Amino acid sequence: MPPTSVALTPGLTSYLKSLKTNPIDTSIDNLISLLKRRQIRHSRSCATATAYLLLRVISACRTNDAGKLIERVQSVGRRLVAAQPREMVVGNIVRRVLGLIRDEAEDDRDADFNLSEAGSESQPQTPRATDDHSDSLFTRHERPTVSMSTPISMFSLLSHPEPEPSLPGTPASASPSGRLLGHTQTKDIRAEVIDGIGEIIDELGQVDDQIAAYALDHIHSNEIILTHTSSTTVQRFLLKAAAKRKFTVIHAESYPNNHEATHATVSGNQPADEELLSTESFQKPLTELGITVILIPDSAVFALMSRVNKVILGTHSVLANGGLVAAAGTRVIARAAKVHQTPVVVVSGVYKLSPVYPFDFDSLIEYGDASKVIPFEDGDLVDQIDVQNPLYDYVPAELVDLYITNLGGHAPSYLYRIVSDHYRREDISF
Amino acid sequence: MAQPVDSSLNLSPSESAAPAPQPPSAPEMQPSNGAAKPSKPPKQQPKQAPNADSGPASAAGGENLSPAELKKRAKAEKQARRAKEKADKEQGGAAPGGPSATASAKKSSSGGGGGAGGKDAASGAQQKGQRHRRGSAQAGAQGPAAEKKKKQEDKSVAVFGHLYGQPRRTTVAGAGKEVHPAVLALGLQMRDYVVCGSSARCVATLLAFKRVIESYTTPLGTSLPRHLTTHLSHQITYLSTCRPLSISQGNAIRALKLEISSIDPSVPEATAKSTLSDFIDSFIREKITVADQVIAGSAAQKIQDGDVIVTYAGSSIVKQTLLTAFKQGKKFRVSIIDSRPLFEGKSMARTLAKAGLDVQYSLVNAVSHAIKDATKVFLGAHGMTSNGRLYSRVGTALVAMSAKERAGGVEVPVIVCCETVKFTDRVALDSIVVNEIADADELVINQPPQQVTGIPDSKAAATAQPDTKKGGNKASSQTSPPEPNLASLNGSSPLANWKETPNLQLLNILYDVTPAEYVDMVVTEMGSLPPSAVPIVHRMSTNL
Repeated sequence: MPPTSVALTPGLTSYLKSLKTNPIDTSIDNLISLLKRRQIRHSRSCATATAYLLLRVISACRTNDAGKLIERVQSVGRRLVAAQPREMVVGNIVRRVLGLIRDEAEDDRDADFNLSEAGSESQPQTPRATDDHSDSLFTRHERPTVSMSTPISMFSLLSHPEPEPSLPGTPASASPSGRLLGHTQTKDIRAEVIDGIGEIIDELGQVDDQIAAYALDHIHSNEIILTHTSSTTVQRFLLKAAAKRKFTVIHAESYPNNHEATHATVSGNQPADEELLSTESFQKPLTELGITVILIPDSAVFALMSRVNKVILGTHSVLANGGLVAAAGTRVIARAAKVHQTPVVVVSGVYKLSPVYPFDFDSLIEYGDASKVIPFEDGDLVDQIDVQNPLYDYVPAELVDLYITNLGGHAPSYLYRIVSDHYRREDISF
Repeated sequence: MAQPVDSSLNLSPSESAAPAPQPPSAPEMQPSNGAAKPSKPPKQQPKQAPNADSGPASAAGGENLSPAELKKRAKAEKQARRAKEKADKEQGGAAPGGPSATASAKKSSSGGGGGAGGKDAASGAQQKGQRHRRGSAQAGAQGPAAEKKKKQEDKSVAVFGHLYGQPRRTTVAGAGKEVHPAVLALGLQMRDYVVCGSSARCVATLLAFKRVIESYTTPLGTSLPRHLTTHLSHQITYLSTCRPLSISQGNAIRALKLEISSIDPSVPEATAKSTLSDFIDSFIREKITVADQVIAGSAAQKIQDGDVIVTYAGSSIVKQTLLTAFKQGKKFRVSIIDSRPLFEGKSMARTLAKAGLDVQYSLVNAVSHAIKDATKVFLGAHGMTSNGRLYSRVGTALVAMSAKERAGGVEVPVIVCCETVKFTDRVALDSIVVNEIADADELVINQPPQQVTGIPDSKAAATAQPDTKKGGNKASSQTSPPEPNLASLNGSSPLANWKETPNLQLLNILYDVTPAEYVDMVVTEMGSLPPSAVPIVHRMSTNL
């Protein structure tokens, strides 16, 4: 079944396949149109597609000049983000790749000065320039100014190599022999960046398991857990806990937009053609591990909340202020949990964490197909009334008690810090 | 409101029973379900190899039969069943249970595709005799089938255990002979939500009882006030087996019984009956028809130009309020929030849109969006409890909460429109104390039959084949159903055989309880009150 369905509907799988053969510009255009047509739509699929595309872009870029690489990635990234600004993971991945290139460039420059560091410096996948933290703490509110100065700082960065105080090597130790090594070092930039992207892709593959590793800390015996829509991350999380403990899951179905996937998740009858469920579709449903799963319509959330011990939610993307954008209906669930003093736990990979501060909440919300709300049989109504089907909700940070990412558990107020760990300040608006 | 109800009451019971889109109810489908099961484990053995430890192994251990033998036995059983079904059919082809029974047989045969189904059947064999809640009436009748039925896992949600009573009645079969045809019809209409909504059900019940009283003759040796009450309680029992009585129905019945018992036994029967009809008429008029007008009038005053009114699901009184305000020339926008599975807001949206109002429609997942620009929230009620809480369609609490807890905004006033006949002296802290559980199968989405173009693919044909084989007699009696059934098999909802999936439960509650602090005002025919005034008004109105 998968091969035929892939051929019929372009999606992530077919895109990744075509990526190997198509010329790079076609691939970029392909992804842009896939994003625009929403044929790739889940956060992870978008992230994976972006990462693979950037991998291709970098490897096709026959240059060793970091400045040119950055420029190229930026231009591709800008087009991708413009194609689907609400898929924030696309921007996140682009930013991380930009960060990789910058780090490599800095390391390289550093190696020019510091011979001893030359070969051994393999780039950690998450750039941790410690000095950036304190800086970004003060400058994070000045996003516009930063963005204005970004190109200037970028070029000055490369043309006038000024020593970074944070790095261990100091220009004092510069030796003439460093110049000799410089030739091989610049050659390595591209390879290192490609390695780094590979690590990002690996991270995307492992993130659910890493998050699930924390499950036993948060789910205990005989608890009643409420969750909403079908999220593979949440499902993995619950499954991990289910292996050891017995608890009850109440699953709200998120009716017009994602109920089919939710029904499939709870009953274990996965449709085989869903691109995103390529590997996950083989996992057992919770019910087979002896977990009682109660499926409820979204409207019954308030009625049941008084018996719920914990609400575990998946998300579409997480914002730097600790708020999140998740499937429509999440906000009212989180609110009901708050009213009942029930803790709300959000599980999300770090790749969904976006350095965006929401000033205009409405701009984050995407609206979906109205025919899911009013079916074709009631078509006469559509002419007379205004049917709305928002796909996402913005959930403010105060409704969330805990975030669990692949790095561990965090308070919502701590997220800005993780943002500054993962994205370079210069790249926040690229 | 009274008129459509009245006309629908004139339907004969058979008429109303036939077209009703009845999902096969739980007790009926279980026997056939169970009977179909022995054939499953052997069929699925190869497929189940990875997780076989609990599946075929336990079945073989229990019965010591090889798969081949099992298969043989299943075949024999199937033949016996088919013969029996045929005989049943010929005997009572027109029996109301017929179509739904075959439908369920079909369903169970399609259920064989689900991997979990066979396993459930096998592992369930060990726990037979433990779970024996449902359909105990039929248990003794069919030997092996009854045995299988016990294996059915208890699908009731533990927290709501106290609310699962008898499953709703599906047919008029088995109703007492004293039950009046009008009541029979009404019972089915209420069951299928044809008559839905607290006041509609109250009015319909009273009108049906009026006809009961009209056709009533006091038997010899008793007096009307003594016997009519018991006669009515048969009707009431029947109605409550169709769907649990609403608060308004309960209040109306209580008032009617009080009126009956206050009749002087020496009064001639004809006079007593006309007194009672007059009482019913005036009760409907005072407590509901006029009350609604008063409420609509005073609630409409709360609406101002430029308002954005949010309302939830379909409430007749809110609809009337909005229409009244619109007729008064007020310019406002209405945002209707609706929910699955009843979609009551849809008909309200249609009516309001036809009247010319500016209507926006969304589902409950969009509450936070709809509430963003709201200026007032109008809610209907199923009842108001004595501790001031609003007992209404499930989801109402979410809307009221969103209105009160709007992030960073001014809170939106929540106005409840409710006749005093819906007040009750019961108290409820949360939605679990009082509630009504509807059939969970309503949550399973039945896709509209798809158009079949060309030849069905091999997979569909494969699933269709055992289907026709099993119900050979079906083809002769029903030619139309197989096609939609086939379509629903192809694009069937993953929940189609949720009952065979162990540990999976569906919960379909009808009401929830909104905390009193989310309600700013209750508009009744006796004036606009805070929710804390509910018990006082209730006492006043019942002591009158």
